[in-house]
Amino acid sequence: MNASHFRQAIAFMLCLCMQTALPQPSADNWPAPETKQTLDRRVHQGYESWERPLPTHVKAQYAGGMGFLSFGAGWDYGRKCRWETDILIGFLPKAYSNRTHTIYTLKQNYIPWSISCCDRFAIEPLTCGVYLNLISGEDYWVREPDRYPDAKYYWFTSRLRTFFYIGQRFTYYLKSETLLRNITLFYEFSVNDLDMVSAFGNRSLGISDIACFSVGIKFQLFR
Amino acid sequence: MMKRPLFLLFAAVTACKVEYHPYDTRVHGERNINEKNIARIEAATEGKQTIRFAVISDTQQWYDETEKAVEALNDCDGLDFVIHTGDLADFGMRSEFERQRDILNKLHVPYVTILGNHDCLATGETIFRMIFGSPDYAFTAGEVRFICLNTNALEFDHSESVPNFHFIEQELANFPPNAKKTIVAMHAKPFSEQFDNNVAKVFQYAIRQFPDLQCCLNGHGHKFTIDDLFEDGVLYYQCDNIEKRTYLLFTVDEKGYAYECIAF
Repeated sequence: MNASHFRQAIAFMLCLCMQTALPQPSADNWPAPETKQTLDRRVHQGYESWERPLPTHVKAQYAGGMGFLSFGAGWDYGRKCRWETDILIGFLPKAYSNRTHTIYTLKQNYIPWSISCCDRFAIEPLTCGVYLNLISGEDYWVREPDRYPDAKYYWFTSRLRTFFYIGQRFTYYLKSETLLRNITLFYEFSVNDLDMVSAFGNRSLGISDIACFSVGIKFQLFR
Repeated sequence: MMKRPLFLLFAAVTACKVEYHPYDTRVHGERNINEKNIARIEAATEGKQTIRFAVISDTQQWYDETEKAVEALNDCDGLDFVIHTGDLADFGMRSEFERQRDILNKLHVPYVTILGNHDCLATGETIFRMIFGSPDYAFTAGEVRFICLNTNALEFDHSESVPNFHFIEQELANFPPNAKKTIVAMHAKPFSEQFDNNVAKVFQYAIRQFPDLQCCLNGHGHKFTIDDLFEDGVLYYQCDNIEKRTYLLFTVDEKGYAYECIAF
């Protein structure tokens, strides 16, 4: 690549940057789009009357500190369905622990953007959120057992864990207007509260040492 | 053309850790450390009159300091092995034990670990058993028999015998003929809140039956102290936690033993 090509390339990139950085023209003076489809095609429809408490989606997830596999349902809300709250039940088989455990998770997700591509696909480039989970079994506690001499002999709870995550999603919109509206595959990197405490206190411990990978699938129902 | 990004994605995903739960017991990497290292210690010190070992303790959550300790111990001349007197984990999570093991594996000399009270939390004891081995064990270095015991009675709430007198009795009965002296190592010393203090004097009586008991080693207190707990001449050397950046260096020879508290 010679110098003039390089200058042209820089100029082109600058133009691109300015285009994205400058305020976009309003809908009035923008040429009428051929189709009404926008980049973010998510629309919050929601249920009516007695159907309101019905979950809007079901999910299954592998790993992520919520068990070997976890299953659950959730509700999306906000104008563009940017917020989701899920309740999941996970299973940790005896093969992976000292006995079989059930893990109950409450998960809050935020999905700020959705980018449509092709006819039926959309990418959600960032999902992030927080989840709280509770593991069953007498080896864990929320409040320390009475045998300990002080109320705060250990300063943490082993039963309740908080996780923070970021990830991405890929959605396929189905043709039919039936029960199942779209299917989303997602992956996440999560860290738990106790590992974060360790990472803050140690230079030798980085985010790659504490982040864990998980994958899941979401089925959007009705709305 | 598509192969490369796909391969990179695959490599990125496989390099990531997958965790079913922070307290799951899917141990990755080396297991049975104590058993393997005891074989190394016994082979390397066989027939030696003089042995030199270091004691470190309570490394929980202090990964930076543990790394520094390993570097310092690797620079220590004539060291035969290292004893960790417990509390590798703070919360009992699998990842903590694995991280500590991976740091301690950088030691040039073999090491053994003792079960601490924090190591017992949640599934911690199960994970300790998988990675390091039984909480009660003994080995011979040169002419010295080391008796390593679980003394965290409070964690077991009378569901197991802690300290395990059956094990002590077996060790007394099967004391190896090549050993002449004894050192007892534990995490929590007698009269600490973790110890079953109803049997503290019985425990002391039992360990004094071992041939030529030199001293006892312990951790848990996070502070270097030397105590004659039972006023019987048997000294308990309590090691600093690793945050204080010290280790104890013991030399045992035919005359007796000497210790130093070394800062790094």
